[in-house]
Amino acid sequence: MLKGVKLASVLAVAAMALTACGSTASPSSSAPTSDVKVGMAYDQDGKGDGSFNDAAYAGLSKAQTDLGVQIKEVNSGSSATDASREELLTLLAQDGYNPVIAVGFAYSTALAAAATKFPDTTFAIVDSVVDAPNVGSLVFAAEQGSYLVGVVAASASKTGHIGFIGGMEIDLIKAFEAGYDQGAKSVNPNIVIDSKYMGAAGDNTAWNVPEKAKAASAGMITNGADVIYAAAGGSGLGMFQAVKAAGAGHWAIGVDSDQYNVPSLAKYKDFILTSAEKRVDTAVYDVIKGVVDGTPLTGVQNFDLAKDGVGYSTSNSAVDAYKAAADKAAADIKAGTITVNTK
Amino acid sequence: MNILKQRRMFMIAFSAITILSITRTFTDNSDLTSADTISQALGFAVPIGLAGLAGIWSERAGVVNIGLEGMMVLGTFGAGWAGWQWGAWAGVLAGVLFGALGGLLLAVAAITFGVDQIIAGTAVNLLAVGLTKFLAIVLFTNAPGGGQAQSPPIKGSIPNITVEAIANPLITLHDKGIFFISDVAGLVAGLFYQLSLLSVITFGLFAGTSYILWKTRFGLRLRSAGENPWAADSLGVNVVKYKYLAVTFSGLLAGLGGAYLSIASTIYRNGNTAGRGFIGLATMIFGNWRPGGTGAGAIMFGYIDTLRLIDTGNKNVRGLILLGALVLFVIGAYLMRTGKRSTGTAFAILGSVMIGAFLAAKNFPPEVAQVAPYITTLLVLATASQNLRPPAADGVPFRKGEGH
Repeated sequence: MLKGVKLASVLAVAAMALTACGSTASPSSSAPTSDVKVGMAYDQDGKGDGSFNDAAYAGLSKAQTDLGVQIKEVNSGSSATDASREELLTLLAQDGYNPVIAVGFAYSTALAAAATKFPDTTFAIVDSVVDAPNVGSLVFAAEQGSYLVGVVAASASKTGHIGFIGGMEIDLIKAFEAGYDQGAKSVNPNIVIDSKYMGAAGDNTAWNVPEKAKAASAGMITNGADVIYAAAGGSGLGMFQAVKAAGAGHWAIGVDSDQYNVPSLAKYKDFILTSAEKRVDTAVYDVIKGVVDGTPLTGVQNFDLAKDGVGYSTSNSAVDAYKAAADKAAADIKAGTITVNTK
Repeated sequence: MNILKQRRMFMIAFSAITILSITRTFTDNSDLTSADTISQALGFAVPIGLAGLAGIWSERAGVVNIGLEGMMVLGTFGAGWAGWQWGAWAGVLAGVLFGALGGLLLAVAAITFGVDQIIAGTAVNLLAVGLTKFLAIVLFTNAPGGGQAQSPPIKGSIPNITVEAIANPLITLHDKGIFFISDVAGLVAGLFYQLSLLSVITFGLFAGTSYILWKTRFGLRLRSAGENPWAADSLGVNVVKYKYLAVTFSGLLAGLGGAYLSIASTIYRNGNTAGRGFIGLATMIFGNWRPGGTGAGAIMFGYIDTLRLIDTGNKNVRGLILLGALVLFVIGAYLMRTGKRSTGTAFAILGSVMIGAFLAAKNFPPEVAQVAPYITTLLVLATASQNLRPPAADGVPFRKGEGH
């Protein structure tokens, strides 16, 4: 029996050690060098999602090449808690990383706590507002980008019926839906919009269930939808599959990155009409540049259309036909003649 | 199967279809029994059902298998890793192998070392998640189309089968909307429509398990290891061997369930099992540690999940509520007839409340849609748990030569 207990504890310890966050540190490139050490904390499993986290990494690696900063990346892991996230940020700050950038709203509580402990370190958080003098809150007017793809969706739809797939049902994602709905209705007030979330608030599986997103999208297509927009992290893949299975005449709209050019989605490329882009890369780069230049970005930084923080992608030429309408909407939003709803 | 049992099963199926049919007519919602829905529900049911079946093998031999989720995770990873390089069938093979290794690990800990089975199973879950995450970083980070948390796309796919000669006329019949007949047509059409070959294999595994565990000498010995291993041992059955075989095969089945998930979504992704191993464990209990009930439970989970997901305008939620109410009435009536008056009345009252909700509200908030499946599941589990009987020595460590 004793032997058994030992084995179990060895297994448990090994498991814990293996679950702990993976991290990589790359040497800085030869050209420009800087003493600035950037600590970047991704949420859950980090890079490789083909959208949000990869966009953050793009900004980081641009800073690495252009500014010569040193970087360290960590992941919170999927069983992260506020306490474990705070520990992660504290460790980065303790090791002299400045700025410390937290990618994702899940870090809000942890970052607020870490920022009070290290008043001389610049922190930044993506997708959330943390009110502290040394924190830059990088928020995006996602609803504005979504409005533009809503315009494109409604213009491209032949059936007058479109769909929306959301990840977790939280305000952050509801803003995508609100903008999309408003944009679509500005083109066709009678348009039918189906909407489905993959999980309730707090249900972390919502971002990892492509097979469910596929079923939901297929259901919308059966009911007549011919354009679908997904803001659902890793679940979005299912929407691309359903649209491809439905064949020509059906379109998918991507999110966060320009998903037309994402390698893991190459199979579905021809069905990706456009993507609502959220330039997390620009925001991350700006924060790092601020610290390098000695003028850290703090306070609420709203990356909207006017700042090129959001937009829609035009890499698929199929979107050309609807560009005029979308660009006009963009101009109106910038000019303030259109205000986009966030809920 | 004796006549009485056959008649009972026929009655259950008949009432289930009648209830579905009534609900479909009242809510004017052909989705409830359409071939699309059934086909999708089967697709969702396969991984859950395989996890449940895996649980049956292990627990029938007396080893509680909390580690199903972990073995499934190993299966998803194996399928992603091998599928990316050598195609979908290689993925199935690797998923099955990885799952079986997870099973073997549990067997070593629980059977040879006599570790508390819950703790050993939990360790397998933790180890599987940690190991796959670590391997994903090592193997997929620099692969084209892959990332730290996901594999590159799996090459090729497992073919889907549609028997048009059967499915097409039945789908036409379903669309006519005739009471009962169209519903049966839709349900049957769903079985022959876009059916993954892996689903067919799963049906085979269910039938095979039923036969092997209950109709063969091998099965009798395996089950005796879970009911009374000491008696089996005294009769010369090699209990340890049977337990090892059962738990390893259990891991294999869970691995297949995981492989199915990765192949269905064309990639491995950290966390894509989304707790289905545990849901499988629940269906096994719901199914009274038997393949028939477990399969039915898995299909019910798949069906309710499908209805929620393909729902547009919340009409399926209304349907589910009416469906739940009717089921409660039927079970209530059955309970009253068999003498359990108070429980029967409670069910009838609950059913009336749900009918009231159905009549009162045309539109339910989406939150109701989110929880409806869980409420329905709870209700069904509450009813079913009246007559459950786990294997007598489930979870009890066995040491050869020691009495009990």
